[in-house]
Amino acid sequence: MDDRAVLEQLKPILMDRLKFDPARAAQVTLDTYLPKEIEGSLGLDSLDFIELAMGIEEQFGFAMDEREELDKHFESFDTLVRYITSRMTQG
Amino acid sequence: MSREGSPAELRRAPSPPPAEKIGSVPHWYSHPYNRPELYRLAEVMAWLPRTMRLGLARQLGRLAARLMPQEREAVRTTMTAVTGAVGARLDELTGRVFRDFAMCFSDLVSTNREGPARYLRRIARVTGAGPLRDLDGGVISLTAHMGNWELAGRLLAGHSAKETHVVVTVDEAAKLTRWVRRNGDGVRFVPRARQTSSLGLLAALRRGEAVAVQADRALGNRGDVMVSFFGRPAPFPIGPFVLARASGVPLVPAFCLLDADYGYEVEVAPLMRVARSEEEAALRTWVGLLESMVRRRPTQWFNFFDIWNPFGA
Repeated sequence: MDDRAVLEQLKPILMDRLKFDPARAAQVTLDTYLPKEIEGSLGLDSLDFIELAMGIEEQFGFAMDEREELDKHFESFDTLVRYITSRMTQG
Repeated sequence: MSREGSPAELRRAPSPPPAEKIGSVPHWYSHPYNRPELYRLAEVMAWLPRTMRLGLARQLGRLAARLMPQEREAVRTTMTAVTGAVGARLDELTGRVFRDFAMCFSDLVSTNREGPARYLRRIARVTGAGPLRDLDGGVISLTAHMGNWELAGRLLAGHSAKETHVVVTVDEAAKLTRWVRRNGDGVRFVPRARQTSSLGLLAALRRGEAVAVQADRALGNRGDVMVSFFGRPAPFPIGPFVLARASGVPLVPAFCLLDADYGYEVEVAPLMRVARSEEEAALRTWVGLLESMVRRRPTQWFNFFDIWNPFGA
C-alpha cells in the first residue's frame, strides 16, 4: 500500500472517530501537521490522539508498540503514514 | 458528548479557534500560594517536629485567609453551596479550609518527601484497598485536590514495582517544580505540555504502569463536560475516562484525608471500568463520589476559585 492509499484510509477515522467535518478531512495532505500547538495544523488535542491511535489499530490491524516513544510518529500525516507503513511491513 | 461547542463547529476552521490555543487558557490555579517564598518557608518548617509544624501551619493558614480576600470569597461561596452554612458557622468553615490546606501543604513538601518508611507512619487507616491487591496490570488512580492527594498517589505507586505517571498541568511557575514535582520513589510527573502526551500515558498503561490524575478541575478546553455538582452544572475533565476506555484499565478513585488526630486516612472507592460510549456516565459516577466526599469533608477540598464557573465566562 503506498503513502497516498494509507492517507486515504486515515480520513474516515478523522470523520467517524474524531468527528471532523468531511470537507475538512478531505483537505488534509501528507504535509498537514496534527497537534494543535503547531500553527496551521489540523488542531488535534490529547483526546483526539487517543481516538486516532485506537482508530489506526482497528483500521490497519496492528497494535502500537508501547515500548516506543510514539510522539514523533504523530507529528504530521507524513510521519504517521510512514509509521503505519513500517508497522504493516513488519507485521 | 455535551462538550463546550460542537466538534463539527470546532473543526470546520483550518486551525484551532484562538480560545483553544496554548497560553490563552485561564490559569486559575496560579493562586498566591504558588510562590517560591512560601514553598521555601514550608521547607524550612520541615525541620520542626510535626506537631509544632502543623500548629504553625494552622496559624499561617489563618493569616492567609485574611490576606487573600478573593480566594476567601470563592471558598465562602463553595462552603455555602456545599454545606448550606450561614453566619458564624460559614466563617468558621471558610477559615478551616485555609488552615487544613496549610497543614496538608506543609506535609506535602515535608512528610511526603521523607520516603515510604516514614510517610507510611502517618497513615492511620486504609479502607477499601482490598481489590488493589488482586490488580495486575495498568491502573488509573483518580483523585481530587482533597487532603494530601499526592500521598494517595505515592501509596498507589508503592503497591506496584512499576512506575506511576502523575499528570500535572503546565505550571506557569516552573520554579516550583523542585518542591512539588520531584520525581522519585517510582513516581514520575508528566506535564500536559504537548497534546501527544496522552499517547505516552496510553503506552504506559499498556505496559502495566499506573497513571495518577486529579479529576476535579476543568481544563478550559473541549475535554470539559458539564456535570451537576451540588445541584448546579460544573465543568469536569473527561480525559481520564477516555484514557481508561481506550486502555481497558480500571480507574481507582482514592482520597487521602487528614483525620482529627492529624493522621491520614486513605479511602479507596470501588474500581470503575469504562466501556465504549460510557465515558460520560463514568464521569458522572466520579463526580457523584466526589460530591459525597466533599460533603463529608468540606474543609479539605482545596479549590480557591469558583468551581462552577472557573474561567469567568
